[in-house]
Amino acid sequence: MREFLKSTRFKVLLAFLAFLVGIMIYAVTKGGYSLSGASFVNTVTKPLRFVSNGISMKLEKTVDRISNADSYYEENQQLKKQIGELNKQLTNYDDLQKEVEDLRKLVVIKEEHPDNVYSQSAEVLGYVANDPFRGFTIDRGSDDGIKPYCPVITPEGVVGITIEVSDKTSTVRTILSPDLSIAAVCSSTNTDFGIVEGTVLTAEKGTTKLTHLNTSHGLKEGDLIITSGNSGLFPKDYAIGTVKNIGFEANGLSACAEIEPCADITRLGSVFVILDFDGKKEDADEDKNNS
Amino acid sequence: MRIKTTREKRILYTKTTVRWILYYVLILLFFTIMTSGTYTKPVLLVPAALCIAIGNDVMAAAVTGAVCGFLTDMACGRLFGYNAVLLTVFCIAVSLVFELYLRNKFVNYLWISALVSFLQCWLDYKFYYQMWGYENVERIFYHHTMRIWVYTVIASIVLYLIFRLINRFLMPREHLTIEEAIRTS
Repeated sequence: MREFLKSTRFKVLLAFLAFLVGIMIYAVTKGGYSLSGASFVNTVTKPLRFVSNGISMKLEKTVDRISNADSYYEENQQLKKQIGELNKQLTNYDDLQKEVEDLRKLVVIKEEHPDNVYSQSAEVLGYVANDPFRGFTIDRGSDDGIKPYCPVITPEGVVGITIEVSDKTSTVRTILSPDLSIAAVCSSTNTDFGIVEGTVLTAEKGTTKLTHLNTSHGLKEGDLIITSGNSGLFPKDYAIGTVKNIGFEANGLSACAEIEPCADITRLGSVFVILDFDGKKEDADEDKNNS
Repeated sequence: MRIKTTREKRILYTKTTVRWILYYVLILLFFTIMTSGTYTKPVLLVPAALCIAIGNDVMAAAVTGAVCGFLTDMACGRLFGYNAVLLTVFCIAVSLVFELYLRNKFVNYLWISALVSFLQCWLDYKFYYQMWGYENVERIFYHHTMRIWVYTVIASIVLYLIFRLINRFLMPREHLTIEEAIRTS
């Protein structure tokens, strides 16, 4: 061992380690943009990851069907009853209409926010490995005009924000993460303001949390929570989720609510990125970098 | 080490090249698996880097550790270079320990692999979750980090068998067995 410590081999290894530390420090200073090396690997492996993720998702669905057969059976029975009731009221509903409805939602979003600039539909390449807050990677990057800290949505509602952008791909932090805070308001009352922010506990259930609510709020279960647009990070009036449970913070000074996201964040297929919108805080990137 | 003939040298170079190509194909495959699907998965690149470090020169171990680390950073959305530094240090240490003190046995590999993957998971938890003081952060350690560690240790057994198979056919042996020595003489 002593000989090894005195050898040239050891000195070369030390130099190599210093080089790696240098790369790491350089990566910190990039402020959300990937290093060219990482961008290159991301670009090269993009088709491979796309195919393997497709296979994996199908496999997971099959495993899920087999392992949760009992619960699905019970759920199926309940749903059948519900479908029977709904069929009486909605006789003309079919798959095509549902598809049209989804597209209409997107058009409505665009009509409601004509000044907002959207990216083309971005496919989810895969979820960040072992992330408890369900971060994911999309197949659009800075080549498509995406920058760090752009809002990411689906026709159902807000999903998250881009945090790392390379030429062809971007990584998205979801609303389940405690690192993302969104100024929000209740759609029906329009007076109950709060902050939507994930927690470790809610992320386990695939939900998020509305905090800093006034104790005399008028929220009730099922209310829709939307973005208030105060922070300049997200545009106004985008659906975030519905109220599931209401309670008080541990300190008793403010109320909070568990929010069921409108979009199913655990099974996303494609998303849209809002490239620009009215009231966007131009120095949002700098603020994030400084913090 | 005995003197090699030209033919033996050619076979040695071919085997070494094929072996390293296979190593890196496997590394790419493990990276792809890690970036696919939504389930919690083992950090396959850690035991893979160790398997390669155990049987090879310390310089090769360092480079492989860095490559596996960079890919882990990309798959897990970590700061580019963070896992590269960690895995390079681990691989150098493991390569030296096996060169100087330990025999290349499955039991030794298993406990070293369990220790290194635990350290990697624990440091990941410390730097990326605990340090930021999230509420109920310990749940991530017990329900998430420990599960990943257990999966990684289980996966490392399979990985050992795969790399053992590659090494069995393609790893050059520096010493002759007694039977081979008798036969050559």
